[in-house]
Amino acid sequence: MNGKSDFLFRERTDRLREIDIPLAVVTVLMLAFGVVMVYSASSYNAELNYGNEFFFMIKQIIGCVGGLVSMTALTKLDYRRLHKLRFVLIILSAVLLALVLIPGVGMENYGARRWLNLGFMTLQSSEVAKICFVIYAAAYMSKNYGKMTAVRGWLPLAAVGCVLCVLIMLEPSMSVTMCVVFVMLTMLIMGGMRIMHLIFVLVPLAALAVILILIEPYRLARLLAFLDPWSSPLEEGYQLLQSYYGLGAGGLFGVGLFNSRQKYLFLPFAESDFIFSVIGEELGLIGCALVMLGFAFMIYRLIRIAKNAADRFGCYLSGGMAALIGIQVAINIAVVSGCIPPTGIPLPFISSGSSALVAFCGGIGICQSVRLRSHVSVRAVL
Amino acid sequence: MRQTNSLTKTLKRLFAIFIAITFLFCALFVRLFVLQILTGGELTRKAADQWYRDLPLVAERGNIYAGGGELLAGSEKAYDIYARPNAVTEKSRAAAVLSDTLGISITAAEEKLSEKRSEVTLARKASAETAADIDEAGLSGIYCVASPKRTYPYGSMLSKVIGFTNIDGKGQNGIEGYYDKYLSGTDGYLYADADIAGRETGGSISYVPAVAGCDLTLTVDADIQSFAESAVMAAHAEWQAKSCSAIVMDVNTGGIAALASYPSYDLNDIPRNDIELLNLLSKNMLITDVYEPGSTFKIFTTAAALECGVANDSSRYYCGGSMTVDGQRIRCWRSAGHGSQDLADGVKNSCNCVFMSLALSLGTERFYDAIEKFGFGSKTNIDFFGESAGIVMKEENVKTVDLARIGFGQAIAVTPLQLITAVSAAVNGGTLYEPYFLSKVSSDGNVIYEHTPKVVGNPITPETSSRLRELLVGVVESGGGSKAQVSGIKIGGKTGTAQKYENGAIAAGKYVSSFVGFAPADDPEYAVLFIVDEPSGYTYYGSLTAAPYAGRIFSRIADAEGWQRDSVEEAEMIQMPDTIGMDVSDAVKLLESRGLVVETEGSGDVKSSVPIAGDLVAVGDVVFVRGKEDP
Repeated sequence: MNGKSDFLFRERTDRLREIDIPLAVVTVLMLAFGVVMVYSASSYNAELNYGNEFFFMIKQIIGCVGGLVSMTALTKLDYRRLHKLRFVLIILSAVLLALVLIPGVGMENYGARRWLNLGFMTLQSSEVAKICFVIYAAAYMSKNYGKMTAVRGWLPLAAVGCVLCVLIMLEPSMSVTMCVVFVMLTMLIMGGMRIMHLIFVLVPLAALAVILILIEPYRLARLLAFLDPWSSPLEEGYQLLQSYYGLGAGGLFGVGLFNSRQKYLFLPFAESDFIFSVIGEELGLIGCALVMLGFAFMIYRLIRIAKNAADRFGCYLSGGMAALIGIQVAINIAVVSGCIPPTGIPLPFISSGSSALVAFCGGIGICQSVRLRSHVSVRAVL
Repeated sequence: MRQTNSLTKTLKRLFAIFIAITFLFCALFVRLFVLQILTGGELTRKAADQWYRDLPLVAERGNIYAGGGELLAGSEKAYDIYARPNAVTEKSRAAAVLSDTLGISITAAEEKLSEKRSEVTLARKASAETAADIDEAGLSGIYCVASPKRTYPYGSMLSKVIGFTNIDGKGQNGIEGYYDKYLSGTDGYLYADADIAGRETGGSISYVPAVAGCDLTLTVDADIQSFAESAVMAAHAEWQAKSCSAIVMDVNTGGIAALASYPSYDLNDIPRNDIELLNLLSKNMLITDVYEPGSTFKIFTTAAALECGVANDSSRYYCGGSMTVDGQRIRCWRSAGHGSQDLADGVKNSCNCVFMSLALSLGTERFYDAIEKFGFGSKTNIDFFGESAGIVMKEENVKTVDLARIGFGQAIAVTPLQLITAVSAAVNGGTLYEPYFLSKVSSDGNVIYEHTPKVVGNPITPETSSRLRELLVGVVESGGGSKAQVSGIKIGGKTGTAQKYENGAIAAGKYVSSFVGFAPADDPEYAVLFIVDEPSGYTYYGSLTAAPYAGRIFSRIADAEGWQRDSVEEAEMIQMPDTIGMDVSDAVKLLESRGLVVETEGSGDVKSSVPIAGDLVAVGDVVFVRGKEDP
């Protein structure tokens, strides 16, 4: 890094207006939309169980504030500082993931340990771990980009990813594992991994997935339920059918905001993992399409930042974030629409859950930081 | 070759990743399109099942009344009791209350309340008190829904006509079934938005009121029906018959005034669990089943002969005990023969030879024309399910022998309903009406439909009808129908005794004995057909078994309708002569010389007589002698 570029970066950092405005706008819109949808999906449940219809909405607003704070802070922070912090971050992730597994420390919910109780809020370790892994992978690949085409180049990174995956799988959380695996593969492709190597990795991975499904009875039951939800409408197939009902009732234009019928406790996790079904019910196919367009636009902006980044680290960071958001959105919608077996994974920026909000907003902040510090001339060319 | 990892390659791959994600989103959009647009309607319908708590508002079923306004079928308040297991909060108390009120065990109640279904039926048609008790207990998740119960105040009376409903109040058979669409009305609904536990969410409540069914009034006269009911029961007891039935028809409209059959069953206690028994008891055989009419059919042979002019008052016929047709010897019922008779005597004696002659002189074409015009071989179109058309040989297959047999009521099968409908036409001046049960339909007291008698045709002229009445009056006054006499009332009629066929062969000792008559004979109002199916013992003649009960019905109708009774001189009573040991033919001559009408069984020496020697018997009454040798 020479003095000239240092000077340029400093100059641009002074003017926060240089951030990617469309990305910021779409992020804030997503958050606001999320608050509205969380309220709509949860008000009945909240009133019934907590005596306050705004219970989940208030939590969501607090999460959004936290998200905006982390986004702003990370925008201001020079992303290259993260390069130095990569080991700290990845070890922190592993520790957090390990902590939830300890009975008494990790909170158990619905048969899985995924949360840490921090007193004032609950922290979902895997949400933090996903972002940290993106940072670590970006740092590793930018440092070792020369040998990424060779096995010895990408294998250490894959190994780190696998350790995280194993920890997440122990929670257990199949969907987050799946998400991390896909993000890792996408980043490896970005980092220059040879396609032949990728194929050699994918085949045993697919075999492993089959084994993982077969050894856990609940996974097999869910898979069978997924293949024919009507055969067990009250047990395994229940959740999927309820999601179908909501989407089906929505039709093209939806039943109108706040008019969901499925939120009357029929649809489990209506405000979190299955919020997309409520969106489909209330706002119809058009609403769904708009949300997907929003995410696509966000991903497009992130890819654009990646292209214009001043260095490989910034490029990989932004590309990784784009992949993370794209993959998680795709998995969530695929689950809600019954394309893949039901697994619990939130819709970024919209689903209820403070950890995810803070983590994803932080991720966007990092990308804004990349954008602020990218080279003017490069941006002018592209 | 070692691959380089240039920045260009990274940018290319970034672009590829973006395309891949976009493609993924597009694929998901297609999936959403399929779910939301293509299958959306079906999914919504399925989802609606869980979204609403729908309380069916059962439409009040219409009542069925007899012609005089007597309630034959009505509804009383009853309740179906349901539970939504996941809305039951106090399971043990609920089980205790249900056990108390419904008389089920606590464990059974708890099991029901633990079922993994959204709705469980606990009891059906529970009384209003039971429902009130459950309501008072204030249990959440338990619901009482009004579900009226059908009641039949007259129990077994007219049961085969009225029919019954299933447990859901849908008409199954009889009038309840045939007119179900009028009676049932339209159910209403109360839809309330509810959450998964059935709690109302305070959303929309839509109310579709039920539209009550219409009330029906039948042609059936409750008084005449009860006369018919008691007559069939008494006849069943006296003759130990398989069944006894009666139809009373208003000859001037075709309306059914009474239709009774025994054995019968109580509509309030239907043997729903024994389908075979239920089918047997609920089947209205007078409409659905055919029988060989025997001598009652001679009415139509006579009518056709008079109408076509092949017989008149001066015609004479000889009966030598049998007649040979196409080389086949067909016997008259009295083997001794009736000798030379005019038409009136032939009808009075019910001489088979006379009717064979009539049928033969009519010829197939003219006789069949008359048979068709009287409605045989086709359905009467009465408002009832399962009517049979009867069995009439194809005209082109009728041989001379068959023609002769049809002349006295064999080789043809009719339904009792067809027979009485045709008899009504024969005696009412010659107009054939479509028989019917429903006289009017009313809704909220307003008559919305009233049946007008429907004329089907005119098989004979009023003159022929009038002459026929005279001949049939003769049968009751001094012929085989004399036991149907009612003092002071002029009655016409004809008896019939037909052997039953089983599996294509004559069933020994099994008869259908019947009498069909009408009164008042000069201007008939009602026709009565009385059938005794398989009377036991030797007194199986229609003249002895059915005629007296038809007479009993006429007598009571006369009282109820206030018919003017002519003053009559007391019938001369004589002592029954002792005929035991005489030859049957000698005995017949002796009894006839004393003015009695004789029915016989067997030949040779007389073994027994009814009544026994020395008993008082009215001149002109029917008596019975039995020979030692079986026929």
